[in-house]
Amino acid sequence: MKLLLALIRRDLALSLRQGGGAGTALGFFLAVVVLLPIGIGPDQALLARIAPGALWISLLLSVLLSADRIFQQDYEDGSLDIMTMGPVPFELVALAKAAAHWLSTSLPLAIAAPLLGFLVNLEPQAILPLAASMVLGSAALSLLAAVGAAVTVGLRRGGLLVSILVLPLYVPVMIFGLSASQPGAAPGLTTASLLILAAITLVSLVVSPLASAAALRSYLK
Amino acid sequence: MDFSANHIGFVLASYAISVLMIGGLIIQVLRRDRKLRAEATRLEAQRKAQHP
Amino acid sequence: MQYLANPTRFLKIANAVLPYVWAITIGLFAIGLYGGLVTSPQDYQQGETVRIMYVHVPAAWMALFVYSVMALASAVAVIFRHPLADVAAKTAAPIGAVFCFLALATGSLWGKPMWGAWWVWDARLTSMFVLMLLYIGYMAIWAAIEDPHRAAMVARVVALVGFINVPIVKFSVDWWNSLHQPASVFRMDGPTIHGSMLWPLLVMGLAYSFLFLALHLVSIRAEVAARKIRQIHIAEIGER
Repeated sequence: MKLLLALIRRDLALSLRQGGGAGTALGFFLAVVVLLPIGIGPDQALLARIAPGALWISLLLSVLLSADRIFQQDYEDGSLDIMTMGPVPFELVALAKAAAHWLSTSLPLAIAAPLLGFLVNLEPQAILPLAASMVLGSAALSLLAAVGAAVTVGLRRGGLLVSILVLPLYVPVMIFGLSASQPGAAPGLTTASLLILAAITLVSLVVSPLASAAALRSYLK
Repeated sequence: MDFSANHIGFVLASYAISVLMIGGLIIQVLRRDRKLRAEATRLEAQRKAQHP
Repeated sequence: MQYLANPTRFLKIANAVLPYVWAITIGLFAIGLYGGLVTSPQDYQQGETVRIMYVHVPAAWMALFVYSVMALASAVAVIFRHPLADVAAKTAAPIGAVFCFLALATGSLWGKPMWGAWWVWDARLTSMFVLMLLYIGYMAIWAAIEDPHRAAMVARVVALVGFINVPIVKFSVDWWNSLHQPASVFRMDGPTIHGSMLWPLLVMGLAYSFLFLALHLVSIRAEVAARKIRQIHIAEIGER
């Protein structure tokens, strides 16, 4: 456990220090959010209707774009090789990496996104449910991004491939995330969607470390 | 079959695309199989001749 | 399973059964098409358009079935480490992708006269679309990784994760869009479509299944040959 925390702390420090980390993802997120009203026109009513969806899509893209960082560096400098031989089970190493990505990138974005909602005329009563669903969903997003990153870690041009592989996995997360952030559509909808979202996150929590570790091992052999 | 029915073009188009895609797949699979097996037998024979 | 794992033995069996499989496939297609195009009646609402069903529905079934075959083969590869299991998974993917594409294309052709639009984000079309993406991703992995051994190991992960994803996508898309027709053949309370339309549909489904079996066996045979060629080339390089 202590070793795990040390791993997470190391990754967090690396991603915050090198400037390539959380800041860039947030900048990308802002760029997408700004492009949207420009692309579809500044109609306030239309923007309010698509605001949760627009924010979710921006979140997905930002998380995806930063996904290849999860394992790339440690794969290239050989740290991962050493970690396979360490005392920590390799599945937990993969989990720690995904957790670090969540804490450094997805979670800050998920917290910032609803607050940036005013840019796309998000209804005030949608802010809280949107924040809840994004915080919950962003964990699943990071875990699934880790699978995509692990599967393509040894490839020179893995970026586009990651998107093809991971976006289908993001479909359920986004659907329930969105259905949670539409208060007033139906009574109890938010709670039910959040519960299902939590279930999806738990499934990813189990599947992601196993899958990432298996994929990484095949590259490390 | 009534060829003067409404929307008959859509029915014909669906069958046409199915026949084309599946036919193409069959041809491609069979051709690849024939080519690769011929190549494998050729190389094997060549090897046997070189290293008896 | 263990018995079939030996490639030479597998090839022997495949070569022996293939002529029969092809013959059955052709026979089933003849019966199914005759039933679907000649004897089955027009639908009282859809008219002739209902005949698209006989190519659309089997293609959709097969798209799902072939992905399951791929996932099963990948699971066998993980558990028993049979070399043929990876080959079976790899060769199933392009065939399944063609079926998936056909399901989408004929679904779109069916949708235009029925819904008035080429594409409607209906629950089943949407899940089929996601399945297509899964096929594309799986094939892209095989194409991107050069070393076949490593590609096989990574592809197993992709196939299995995708397979877990399929029912979740189905569930979520149903939730997202509850305005869709209920699945009408496999239901607990029995089929709802009339027998004169049902039997050609089922025969076409069988025909597609046998077609897949034939194509899959041939593709596996070709892939085994491809690996043999690769081994010979590597051996030659080693001798130089």
